[in-house]
Amino acid sequence: MTETADKTKSDRHAPVATDLAKTAEQGVKRGPDKVERVAKRFQAKDVNLYYGDFHAVQDVTMTIEANQVTALIGSSGCGKTTVLRSLNRMHELTPGARVEGEVVLDDQNIYAPNVDPVEVRRLVGMVFQAPNPFPTMSIYENVAAGLTLNRRGISKTEKSDIVEKSLRGAHLWEEVKDRLDRPGSGLSGGQQQRLCIARAIAVEPEVLLMDEPCSALDPVATLAVEDLIEDLKSRYTIVIVTHNMQQAARASDVTAFFNLEASGKPGRLVEMDATDKIFTTPSKRETEDYVSGRFG
Amino acid sequence: MPEVRLHYADHLEELERNALGGLDLVVASLDRTMEAVEHQDMELAELVIADDDRIDGRYLEVHQEILTMLATQAPVATDLRLISALLHVMHSIERMGDQCVNISKVIPLTGHDAPVHDEMVDRILLMGKQCRSMTSQSKKAFEARDIELARDLVRQDDLIDNLNKECFKIAVQVGEDKDTREWAMTMMLVARALERIGDNAVDIGEQVAFVVTGLFREFEDASHPGQPTLP
Repeated sequence: MTETADKTKSDRHAPVATDLAKTAEQGVKRGPDKVERVAKRFQAKDVNLYYGDFHAVQDVTMTIEANQVTALIGSSGCGKTTVLRSLNRMHELTPGARVEGEVVLDDQNIYAPNVDPVEVRRLVGMVFQAPNPFPTMSIYENVAAGLTLNRRGISKTEKSDIVEKSLRGAHLWEEVKDRLDRPGSGLSGGQQQRLCIARAIAVEPEVLLMDEPCSALDPVATLAVEDLIEDLKSRYTIVIVTHNMQQAARASDVTAFFNLEASGKPGRLVEMDATDKIFTTPSKRETEDYVSGRFG
Repeated sequence: MPEVRLHYADHLEELERNALGGLDLVVASLDRTMEAVEHQDMELAELVIADDDRIDGRYLEVHQEILTMLATQAPVATDLRLISALLHVMHSIERMGDQCVNISKVIPLTGHDAPVHDEMVDRILLMGKQCRSMTSQSKKAFEARDIELARDLVRQDDLIDNLNKECFKIAVQVGEDKDTREWAMTMMLVARALERIGDNAVDIGEQVAFVVTGLFREFEDASHPGQPTLP
């Protein structure tokens, strides 16, 4: 390995300052390479979430930027899924659950008294942990289900166009175009999850919430869904809850870390920053310990 | 902490000990090299050349351990910065070892009865001592994550650079005798190699700052000398 000539100090054209933190900061502002449609940004202001007397999440204030993927990470019970469900008013569907504070989508507080929660859920779609296509419906009907409910009187041609567009958008069209009348439940796990994503985007939401969308999928199907997420952010704002930290590192632009001070205490947002920064130079010790696996 | 992660933490510490232990190998090689220079001891010089395999072996060993750790443990945050820094440090260590070999290779060129010029030899021996001290200091700074001690390496390196310049002046004015001029040119190669070892120690210091702060900045930017690069 001996070299007789060594590069001189002055020969080197190393970057004068490769500032990781600066790169990370740029990451916060980094959107997709192309934005096909400017989606809406979310702001949570002093949000407190309760299940009856139990204070589940405390004082969350965060901004979720449009056309970016925001990952919510944290150990079980830290409130990340509860926060996710509060973003499309699903939290309040649990008996005894309530929300304090504001969740603003663009300029509209989605918890204002005049806002229809059904309309909120159309604007803010949800994809769940286990793929849950409607079992008795065909692939076509699964995708069209939301359209049938939300847009009465839609023509058959328009509906078919949207179904195709949504299946293409969910990277599923080529795999199912010849069997649209077959039951959605007959697809593989990864295909079912992409079918659920197609169903969610068929109603043209602004935001897609995903609650551990890959936890029931094998690595190949997981990568297919992650590719899809990357593609979808040019049209939607995406919030994903994941237990898989490598998935958060791979698939998101911004990461928010939630934690509990102690068992029985409410969850809170510890740190939110560009994903690069969270996984290289987090600001808080608590975040560092969690992402490095030093917990318990 | 779960058992698996405890092993990981232990393994990471051991990896750092192994990598930084490479600096002890450099110090040992440097001691022999300078002794060989002082006494024009060609046998000792050959030993330095042969023994460089130990430093190269350490480089390969640490490199393999780092690859395994990246593949199996997916380190992030401080752990990731540490591993990235250790890769750089190992590269510097390997280069320092090579510089000792470069010096040892030119010792036979001076011959047994070289026309020694004391002023120049004294400076080169002083540069050797300074390199030794900087190598040890870079190890201490890394182990203690001590940025101040790391930055002090720049001050130490200035001494080496000045001695190198003085050697150059002496070599230019060494006189008309062909053998003496040839000897002086060879000694300039030695001085140059020592000057590079000093730079490698500063590079290790920069990695200390990276591990601690997450910012990589050259302590001294050779393309823009005199301008501070750290806030």
